[in-house]
Amino acid sequence: MTIKSWLKPVVSGVAISAISMASLAAEPIKVGFIGSMSSDSGLSGLRAAEIAIDEINNTGGVNGQQVELVTADTREDPTEGIKAYEFLAESAEVDFIVSSSIDDVSLAWMPRFLEYQIPTLDTWASYVGIIDMVKDDPEGMKNYFMNVASDEALATLYINFGADVLKAKMGFESVVILAEDTAFGEAITGLVTEALAPVAGIEVKEVIKYDITTNDFAPLFSKAEQSGADFIYQISTVNAAGLSAQYVKLQVPLAMTGVNVAALGHEYWTDTGGAGAGISTLSPIPAVGLDLDPVSAEFVATYQSRYTSRPVMPHFNGFNVYHGLKQALAAAGEVGGFGDGWSAAMEKQDLKLMKDGELWLRYGWWQHDEIEPVTGRTYPHNIRFDLSEPFDDGAPSMVVVQWHEDGKPYVVYPEKYANGEFVLPSWVPAK
Amino acid sequence: MKLIEKKHLVAWGAFLLIMLLMPNFVSNGTLRIFIFANFLAIFAISWDVLSGRTGYISFGHPFLIGIGVYATAIMSKRFGMPVEYSIPLAVLITMLGSVLIFLPALRIKGSYFALVTLAFMELAYQLVQVVRPDLTGGTRGIFGIKTLTRGAENGFYMSMSLMFAVAFSAWLIMRTQLGTALSALGMQEESLEGSGKSTTKLKLAAFMLSAFIAGLGGAFYAHYVGAIAPRTLFDINFLFTIIVAVLLGGSGTIIGPIIGAFFLTFLLEFLRPYLPGAGRYFIYGAIALLLYMYQPKGIYNLLEKLYQRWRGGAA
Repeated sequence: MTIKSWLKPVVSGVAISAISMASLAAEPIKVGFIGSMSSDSGLSGLRAAEIAIDEINNTGGVNGQQVELVTADTREDPTEGIKAYEFLAESAEVDFIVSSSIDDVSLAWMPRFLEYQIPTLDTWASYVGIIDMVKDDPEGMKNYFMNVASDEALATLYINFGADVLKAKMGFESVVILAEDTAFGEAITGLVTEALAPVAGIEVKEVIKYDITTNDFAPLFSKAEQSGADFIYQISTVNAAGLSAQYVKLQVPLAMTGVNVAALGHEYWTDTGGAGAGISTLSPIPAVGLDLDPVSAEFVATYQSRYTSRPVMPHFNGFNVYHGLKQALAAAGEVGGFGDGWSAAMEKQDLKLMKDGELWLRYGWWQHDEIEPVTGRTYPHNIRFDLSEPFDDGAPSMVVVQWHEDGKPYVVYPEKYANGEFVLPSWVPAK
Repeated sequence: MKLIEKKHLVAWGAFLLIMLLMPNFVSNGTLRIFIFANFLAIFAISWDVLSGRTGYISFGHPFLIGIGVYATAIMSKRFGMPVEYSIPLAVLITMLGSVLIFLPALRIKGSYFALVTLAFMELAYQLVQVVRPDLTGGTRGIFGIKTLTRGAENGFYMSMSLMFAVAFSAWLIMRTQLGTALSALGMQEESLEGSGKSTTKLKLAAFMLSAFIAGLGGAFYAHYVGAIAPRTLFDINFLFTIIVAVLLGGSGTIIGPIIGAFFLTFLLEFLRPYLPGAGRYFIYGAIALLLYMYQPKGIYNLLEKLYQRWRGGAA
């Protein structure tokens, strides 16, 4: 056997291996984004994903692999959500999915998640029923993570706002609920009537439901006034800016707080034509008006230098996508992809964002056997939140934001995060 | 002319064969699109059997489909009933529910009938949210419904078999005296009455057949998607999608609604990678508008004309 005769196959083998390795290295990691591509919250998530991926690619990618983004629009429609998830899984063949889907849409694609087992991160949907699925089926749901506090945790802290501020500080004794007729409206109405009101000692005088196509809110406000309640609890996700503007223009002589999705964005003031003062809303964190830690502030600076159209400031899910996507890719980098070890690596991800030497935001996870002390239950794969002062184990599950008459949003609760006072609009008489 | 000719059976056989072999030629992603197209075809056939034939334009079809969807979802999810019972029962309940739509048809027709059926859809939307939300899931709907298949190929074969069975059965029925009478009902109801036929019985038959297909399609659909929400079922967009599929494909036929459903579903999904946002709906709307303006009898009629021209040229 001559040197030439054995050298030839060896050289060929090495060449083939090199070509294979090169092609493997060139194969990008595919990240799918699922969410509405026409809503402010959807765009917040999409843009945040673009920024996170560009930053990762600019620093060499994940173990040398570049990251590629594939998008799928849900139009906030559950059936479209299923089609979008199927497209990402079977046509685009993505490795990982980051979602800015609303609750209904996430619930709709959940059976597809269970089928495909593609690692998925939810950044907007907060339905605690999904976390219960992780509890009940840890193996089937091991690749699912939710980095927004679940609605139950959010509600628990909000009840404290009712007791500490609405009852104790403002002296409100009774409430009239003004709720849109949607799944979300029904869920929050249940929360207020069954939890917030009894715990805070506030009587629910009446529940007024309205259709989401309502444009004239004057009769509803009259009815609310006639109920004799001390304040209005609004639950509004659709045309919420219209409701707020009419509240101000009609100078409704009752305080109004609750959930107003329009007030979660920086465009709220212009959307209401400057007539948005006094409105306060519960918001997942990081909220509009919240002071930011340096890392998140830098993300916002990048966002604003890159995008000039609305939303000019990312909604809370934008932050969740930005930090969460980086964590998911870091976990993939540690274990060589989104295979078997990814879930365990993701569970260990823990990003603590400090501000002025204090823990400000935390992107970590509740583990399977950890019991949250206030609610006494587990929240596996839900973002690690803290439900009591001094919030040294995580960020609060929510904050309350109020738009003041100077046209700016302020966080008014809880105290550690507050940069403004909860105040009555100037036309509302103090109780 | 014989009612059932050999060439028809050959065409059905070829269609079945092509569909059976489809998983060998297309990706799983494409099979997933086929699945939604198959279900839309079933709903479109169901609408056409009633409205395309008899002329009673129903805007309440999502009401019928919704009964089938909710009935099987509640029975299987809430009461643990096996799907082999919940699906037939759901179909039966849908047929009973169709009587509610049938009753107005005894007294009114035209746009009045259409509006009354639309009211049924709206009523259903409101009712499922407030009546026994512990069963219906209220505004959030029901999720975690048992799915019959896993994987694109299985889902494709399930939906394709169902669609083919529905389409072929409906085609056979339409070639019987009943089918001819239903078409006559749509053209000249008064003349049909004059000939001694009971139009009430004919209408009832059309409603029952339509409801049977709607309930069957709806029940299987629920066990395919695994999650249902009232705002997507009892929704005007869902209704329009069904009607547009029929009109684009060609009403008063069986193959027309299938062509329309496939065309609509594939057009939107093929545009998705290129226009991931709302842009694809503009294209879809523009194509649908152009087709309906210049080919009001539908794509099937256009294909027939092209075939005739080709045959003429070949001869």
